[in-house]
Amino acid sequence: MSEAGVLVSTRKGLLIGRSAGGRSQWDWLPLAFAGWVCDYAAHDPRDGSLWAAVSHEQWGPRLHRSTDGGETWEETATPAFPEGVSIEADGGGDTVRNIWTIQPGARAGELYAGVDPGALFISRDGAASWQLCESLANHPTRGSWMAGAAGLSIHHISVDPRDPDRVLIAGSATGCFVTRDGGESWTTRNLGLRALHLPPEMMDAFSEEAAGHCIHSMHAHPQQPDRIWQQNHWGQYRSDDGGESWIDIGEGLPGEFGFATAIDPRDPDTAWYVPLDQDQARMPRGGELAVFRTRDAGASWEPLREGLPPGAFHQTIYRQALGVDGGDPVGLYMGTSGGELLASADAGERWATLRRHLAAIVAVRAWTLD
Amino acid sequence: MAEVEVCFARALQSQAGLPSACAAQADTAGEALQALSRRYPQLRRFVLDDQLRLRRHVNIFINDALIGDRVALSDPLRDGDRLHILAAVSGGADAEERASTGGWR
Repeated sequence: MSEAGVLVSTRKGLLIGRSAGGRSQWDWLPLAFAGWVCDYAAHDPRDGSLWAAVSHEQWGPRLHRSTDGGETWEETATPAFPEGVSIEADGGGDTVRNIWTIQPGARAGELYAGVDPGALFISRDGAASWQLCESLANHPTRGSWMAGAAGLSIHHISVDPRDPDRVLIAGSATGCFVTRDGGESWTTRNLGLRALHLPPEMMDAFSEEAAGHCIHSMHAHPQQPDRIWQQNHWGQYRSDDGGESWIDIGEGLPGEFGFATAIDPRDPDTAWYVPLDQDQARMPRGGELAVFRTRDAGASWEPLREGLPPGAFHQTIYRQALGVDGGDPVGLYMGTSGGELLASADAGERWATLRRHLAAIVAVRAWTLD
Repeated sequence: MAEVEVCFARALQSQAGLPSACAAQADTAGEALQALSRRYPQLRRFVLDDQLRLRRHVNIFINDALIGDRVALSDPLRDGDRLHILAAVSGGADAEERASTGGWR
């Protein structure tokens, strides 16, 4: 590879790193959007542009695009609810609190944005304008969705490389949904997932149409899109049939809870999870940070600790804070809630600290160019 | 319509490129914002949410009194009033609270 890049979204802005070769030396641009929360930043593989979703407690959310690798940014249209549209229970009309994820579509100009409160917006014109996906906003299961501690979010979106109209989304606590018609209609994909925050009667009532599951992260494999990996509030799962059913793959991991996951874009059987101690403490079990890797689709797991901070680790790895690049071997990048950026250039075998003393890192995404 | 002066928070001056103050003609706080948004289009998204309500951590004072109607912004203006558009010091409280509970993100 000739170049690697990493986007580090923090509570105080966006940090962009570039490595000219080997991923051992990194150059860093000055902090962008200083003072704004960078909720998510993405590299658009279609044209190399960068997207940055930022928000400010006082001034609201914004979306920006850079076409020069992050040197300069231009504000685009921000997803916004139409006047009078109310999808939340209070009926008071909704407003976008923040953008959780930006996912480039397969077609030119197509973009998806998952937002809080629990909505999906679609742009067909490169973020010059956005349309609320009303079929999802008005989905019959919406009454069983509920906000988690971090809000009501759509935080992971996968566009099927075989079919640009087939899109998979996950949220907390919304569950998993798929559309096969470009967002005209949505079907639940939660069969087999535990949802211990909801009464069993509710699950029974909805049966296969159940939603409201608390998914923390989810990735469909780009080469084998029916292979989906998921970290749920209540366990770790894999699907081999596009989400129609889920297999519990938690055996061998130190706990069912966790947020961040990453998958190997070159190998559908390899993934990394960061289990945390139950849903109250939200720290690594036993107090020591470890990344767990499977290379056999979740049948077995190995802890990877070499080079990670030793000893007591009282931080969290948030749900989008484990990024993976396309290098060979694959590079991993992990941000902590204490503002440390940790990286591995060999698929997690050995880690090094790239940056310290940043603000809480909420998302990390990476890419490589040949 | 009433002739009023509108004063912007320092943060709005630096973040949104607004002047420290300007004149406006309006009979309510909402009309003043509407008029100023024509002159400064960026003002609206900084101060109002998708439903055109005052953002939670933005405050508007008419002279020394906080406005009472944060939804329709119907508080009346009189000649010589000063409208202050300020960032509430509560801004950031939500994020800090979420972070401290480990629930942020």
